[in-house]
Amino acid sequence: MSGPRWIPTMLLITAFQLISFAQVIFVEDGINYFAATILAIYLLIEWGWSITSSFVLRKSSPAIEFVAFFLTGIGLAVVATKGTSTLFTQFLAVALGFALYIALLWMLANVDRAEKFHVPMEIIAIGLLAIGLIFASNRNGAYNWVQIGGFSFQPSEIVKIAFIFVGAATLEKIQTTKHITRYAIFAVICIGLLFLMRDLGTALIFFFTFVVLGFMRSGDVRTILFVILAAGMAAVLVVLIKRNYVMNRFATYRHIWDTPYGNGMQQTRVLTYSVSGGLLGMGIGKGKLRNVFAAVEDLIFGVVAEEWGLIIAFIVALAYVVIFVHSVRNAKGSRSAFYSIASVAAGSLLIFQAALNIFGVTDLLPMTGVTLPFVSRGGSSTISCWGLLAFIKAADNRTWAGRKS
Amino acid sequence: MNRIFKRTRWMYALAIAFLIGLGILAFLFGTNARQWVMQPYNKHIYSSNGLVGGATVYDRNGDILVQTVNGNREYNSSSTVRKATLHVVGDAEGYISTGAQTAFASQLTGYDLVNGLYSMKEKPHDLTLTIDAGLSATAYKAVTEKGYEQGCVGVYNYKTGEVLVAMSLPTYDIEHKPNIDTSQDRWNAVYMNRFFKGRYTPGSTFKVITAASALENIDNIMDQSFTCNGAYTVVRGSQVKCNGVHGRVTFRQALNQSCNSAFAAIAAAELTNEQMTATAEEFGFNSSINVNGIECADSTFSLEDAYPIDRGWTGIGQGQTMLNPCHEITIMGAIANKTGATPTPTLIKRSVNIGTLNYVSSDVAAQLDNLLRSNVTNYYSDSKFPNLQMCGKTGTAQVSGAEPHTLFVGYSQREDLPLAIVVVLEKSGGYGLTNCIPIANTIMQDALDRYVE
Repeated sequence: MSGPRWIPTMLLITAFQLISFAQVIFVEDGINYFAATILAIYLLIEWGWSITSSFVLRKSSPAIEFVAFFLTGIGLAVVATKGTSTLFTQFLAVALGFALYIALLWMLANVDRAEKFHVPMEIIAIGLLAIGLIFASNRNGAYNWVQIGGFSFQPSEIVKIAFIFVGAATLEKIQTTKHITRYAIFAVICIGLLFLMRDLGTALIFFFTFVVLGFMRSGDVRTILFVILAAGMAAVLVVLIKRNYVMNRFATYRHIWDTPYGNGMQQTRVLTYSVSGGLLGMGIGKGKLRNVFAAVEDLIFGVVAEEWGLIIAFIVALAYVVIFVHSVRNAKGSRSAFYSIASVAAGSLLIFQAALNIFGVTDLLPMTGVTLPFVSRGGSSTISCWGLLAFIKAADNRTWAGRKS
Repeated sequence: MNRIFKRTRWMYALAIAFLIGLGILAFLFGTNARQWVMQPYNKHIYSSNGLVGGATVYDRNGDILVQTVNGNREYNSSSTVRKATLHVVGDAEGYISTGAQTAFASQLTGYDLVNGLYSMKEKPHDLTLTIDAGLSATAYKAVTEKGYEQGCVGVYNYKTGEVLVAMSLPTYDIEHKPNIDTSQDRWNAVYMNRFFKGRYTPGSTFKVITAASALENIDNIMDQSFTCNGAYTVVRGSQVKCNGVHGRVTFRQALNQSCNSAFAAIAAAELTNEQMTATAEEFGFNSSINVNGIECADSTFSLEDAYPIDRGWTGIGQGQTMLNPCHEITIMGAIANKTGATPTPTLIKRSVNIGTLNYVSSDVAAQLDNLLRSNVTNYYSDSKFPNLQMCGKTGTAQVSGAEPHTLFVGYSQREDLPLAIVVVLEKSGGYGLTNCIPIANTIMQDALDRYVE
């Protein structure tokens, strides 16, 4: 029985969100009723889920959701200052993501049932990426967007979920060469397609997740080193073939102050505006970084630092450590290797993507243009993050405390 | 299953790596914040018209040097003041790195790491400089009316450290900025404030340092006399020429008349490389002065393994030695105070803890004060500096391929006018006595009017 121990935490998060949402709702030229409505619904979802899962479904305390609620709330507040339609689309993505989260939890409740989805997932993953490659339009140098009607999405984001699902399901089976080979081929196809889309950041995330999955299954450090070495050589080959394209992207790395009005523009702006807000921030919507290209998508860490202050920005960063540690701890006590592997893979993916984003925009790592999980604006990305969270939640045995397994 | 649990332990390395990354990021934010904030593209600080937030820069008397009016940066209403204070006020674009709008941008914005630039929005952080706009204008007029186009003038209060004038030429009117081609000689180093960043051959003004070294190292120097027959010869064919034939002169007379023969003889025959180097470094050569964060060019001195003839040339200020005008004025301050110490120059009014520059013993400083006073009373004449009780030393610096620079450094002994002055005229030809002293007097008389009568 979980009891209401989660209530103080949720009250704290709610208080934080009320303060930040108020800054967005009560603006100089009156009250933003639309934002007020949307954000109120969001608070209702948070509380609704917490109460339902705790008292009605009698699941364990919704701790992992709290972290995601916290991050999502920040993302919504930033987006709310960008305009009504932007907020509405982002809210819709959160709602869809949350629905996916619940659907995946249901699907994952029964391992045997879940594993039946294995082959369809494989087909969906490769299919989506292939569709992506064929129909994708070029956005900022990467062909990773598909436009259908007035609605556009990034297939690679959704495929992240399938990638981990298939990986965990395949590797959970008795370790036979057949299974390993099959998954390796699947992974190579996915990563290869991403390379062809020129979505380097996401390809890197998939590769990293593949390595984690492989390590969790085999536990063989030598094999992992071999895989990394092979990938490194393949990367060198790619660089040699596509030298100009790749080199251009990495030439700026550690040289952003040479070209503050050229290729180093985004990173230098992130650094300057991050420290402009100081520890306490300029106030939500009062920043200047938001006018820079891709501010609330790739550069949102800088926007949070500038407007909410460096303290909140670093708490946001630490939130990914909490999610990750949670994913590893859940894996230890899990009912099945499938849950363990999927949980660690999802946790690793999220912290790795957060690292690529945060350290990328601050020039500690090359900038690869990936989003900040849960916070960045972006429908596919938001939905995908909530989907990944289901793997971590599913590995927590207490999630199923109310039922017999 | 157990094996999988063990493997998960390795995964914590990922969290540790992430935390290390965040630690590095926090460290970089902490150490680079000020530099990162003060970027010309930072829209919190600069608009297309310069500093936003209405920060006003005042002179010491409350006259506005620059302010923001309707989003535009507006400078002092007098074109002469604008030209005379260009290099201390600076420009919004940051060409003039020592200008207040660039060098003191963090004071003007009130930046700190805790609040960031937040407080800038609430109230403008106005800045009052120690500069006297009127006195600067007088300095500008005094120099340019004589037709000199390049050089600098500095005026400094040796009791408080306040810099009243830091005028540099060439200059321009910032409200009507001309087309500047820095490759042209007339715009040579136009964005540099020569008072803080310039380096000149000191010429005879360096005899003050040679005299100090003699006072420190030669017991009976005040009783010695020297014979000048137009040059000092070290060995046949190796001599330092004098500007005249002074005959038999005492040490004091040699300084008064700026006799090269005597000073070359003192440096070459009576002092060693080590002794002269020690005195020069005591006086702050080879280290730079920091004026509220503006790093002055350092005066440089070297006599390593030098022959007597080199020491002779160095003793009269024609060796490898280079002198920064702001440093030179603090040497005058240390002598004027008769303590051998002087406050570090400051450009910001009401600065606290500005520090002290300690150069020589009070004994040597007092003797130098006496000698520099006798330069005026015995040689230049007090009629050149009415009512000022002026002390000082002129110099003519030979530079290769051009007319010589002329210089004057000095100070008033008046208790109610504790000001030191440096005047440098580039490629002026002539002598410090005829070129610089009238200009120095005009400026000091104006200061007397402003501060005493």
